[in-house]
Amino acid sequence: MDAQSTHISLVEMSNYQLATGKKNLPGDFALWIFIFAEMLVFGVLFVAYAFTRAYHVELFNESQLTLSRTSGAINTLVLITSSYFVVRGVTAIKQGLSKQCAYWLTGAFLLGGIFISIKLVEFHAKYAADISMSTNAFYMFYLSLTFFHFMHVLMGMIILAFIIVKVRRGGYSAQDYVGVETGASFWHMVDFLWIILFPLVYIIR
Amino acid sequence: MKQANPQSNIGATVIWLILVVLTLTTWRIGEAGMVGKSTMLLLLFIAMIKSQIVANYFMALRHTRLIWRAIMFGYFVIVGGLIAFAYLISLA
Repeated sequence: MDAQSTHISLVEMSNYQLATGKKNLPGDFALWIFIFAEMLVFGVLFVAYAFTRAYHVELFNESQLTLSRTSGAINTLVLITSSYFVVRGVTAIKQGLSKQCAYWLTGAFLLGGIFISIKLVEFHAKYAADISMSTNAFYMFYLSLTFFHFMHVLMGMIILAFIIVKVRRGGYSAQDYVGVETGASFWHMVDFLWIILFPLVYIIR
Repeated sequence: MKQANPQSNIGATVIWLILVVLTLTTWRIGEAGMVGKSTMLLLLFIAMIKSQIVANYFMALRHTRLIWRAIMFGYFVIVGGLIAFAYLISLA
């Protein structure tokens, strides 16, 4: 796409926004491609889990009972709350409140740390019980899905850390906050996926 | 230090509270050991509603073009539908 056609499409998008009041995706569009790709990968894994379970119902139900539903629920509350903090951070920066934005995002970052800690305790308990991905099909899905998600939480925390540092240095303002929205969108995706993963793997039988 | 407009945060706080209540409902159903077709469908429905709330309110997709909301709703229908179908096979 050359510079002129890019300019025309941007003008068309602006005109569309003016005419309908509808905006494009918040944050950087490139990250949204990544978000949709990640959702697709997790979606395939969720469906694969459900269909594998359909042929090993007793094994999945028995193994599922060894998981801590309370840990899963606490982690869900932690991620939901961290997502709420991120929303507050984005609202703050849109109003030009850099300090408040940094506080909210730091709160979200710390909650991410709590999520990671609880998951590590869970992983350690499984390791201590000599459970691995090769133990059975349920644990293969449980460990791979939760570890894959765990890595996304870590990535989200790294992104949040970079944004917090930039916010503290005055790098964002009420006029320029695309970076904050981009990081926020990634963090919400991490929350979105866990919201499906938790009942699927920990609760539904 | 400037102060945030409290009006702009009430909606997000209400959404957060709804998500907390739905999460605790899911956890209670799990702790009560409830099983069966209707329980499975209810839990799946709660999960999908929660994910749509996050997409529309936290990710702010409700302000975006129809195509992006349609993608999220399509995810809700396709992934949720296939999971429900797989569970119904196992219950048949």
